[in-house]
Amino acid sequence: MQKLLPLAALLVFGLSGGMAQAVDEGTKQTFNFYCAQCHGTGGKGDGPNVTDDFPVNPRNFTKKDEMNKLTNADIKNVILKGGPVASKSPMMPPWGKTLSAEEIDSLVVYLRELCQCEGKQE
Amino acid sequence: MRIAVIVLIGTVLAMLTTASVRAAAGEQAFSANKCGECHVTQGPAQEKTIADQLAKKGPELWYAGSKFQQPWLEQWLQDPKPIRPLKYNSLSEENPGDHPKLAAGDAASITEYLMSLTSADVEVGVIKPKKNPKGRLIFVKKMPCSGCHQFPGKKFKGGRSAPSLHGAGKRLNPDWIYAYLKKTRVFKPIRMMPIFDGILRDKDMKSVAAYVASFK
Repeated sequence: MQKLLPLAALLVFGLSGGMAQAVDEGTKQTFNFYCAQCHGTGGKGDGPNVTDDFPVNPRNFTKKDEMNKLTNADIKNVILKGGPVASKSPMMPPWGKTLSAEEIDSLVVYLRELCQCEGKQE
Repeated sequence: MRIAVIVLIGTVLAMLTTASVRAAAGEQAFSANKCGECHVTQGPAQEKTIADQLAKKGPELWYAGSKFQQPWLEQWLQDPKPIRPLKYNSLSEENPGDHPKLAAGDAASITEYLMSLTSADVEVGVIKPKKNPKGRLIFVKKMPCSGCHQFPGKKFKGGRSAPSLHGAGKRLNPDWIYAYLKKTRVFKPIRMMPIFDGILRDKDMKSVAAYVASFK
């Protein structure tokens, strides 16, 4: 029994803690309503605003390598305050007066689901 | 002197009555043309969730008289060219440009009605259209307005998810542009545009409103 415990723990970790947690439909709707304008409904940075002359490439959330360079706090900060807070483009708006803290937290979880990555540890 | 005052009061009353009668006729024409199937004319705004907003088929008109300029509205109803690049509430479908065209008489009458729908949250005479460097700097560089709104830019022409601002100077009431930036939720509780009140200073919102109102 004692030998089985670490295996059980590993299984639990593999199914929950080690992988991105799934979000509800409400979070996906929030993403599709606000974020998809530039980031696209699949999060690939290809929303309808991204025309040939668009001055910046919105982040592709499915790029694991790039997303792994960011902590969850980095992502949350940019959603709250806009691109310039991370020396990125002002085309990324500050959503802090629009979205609630809970909505922003769940968007961070959704972005981790899109990248299938945990990000840089804080 | 007394006669002159009586005549003046009588004239003003007659004008008000005429306007009110014309607005009532416009309301009937609005109903006969089934405009209410897509446009809400009862305020204040009722939307509480994204689903509420997505259920709407067209822009709310309960403050149309504070938002639009009368000559533009009357002309547009007779020859409605798309204002949004994309279909209302959609990020994937192009605007089909299928808004009904109205005959001149109905357009005049419905415009009269819509211009009677005003909002006390729009203060009159605050914003004068003016190209100004600060408004331009905020609109184009400091804030992401151009990311979603097409505008008369030299290199970048603007994004496509929001209404185009080409011709905003003829279409929109400058005071409404400022009121919308300042009290966004009063007009649209749920919208794709971020809230800028509390991020931009009041005088900056005025500069942006004056700049947008200068777009031809």
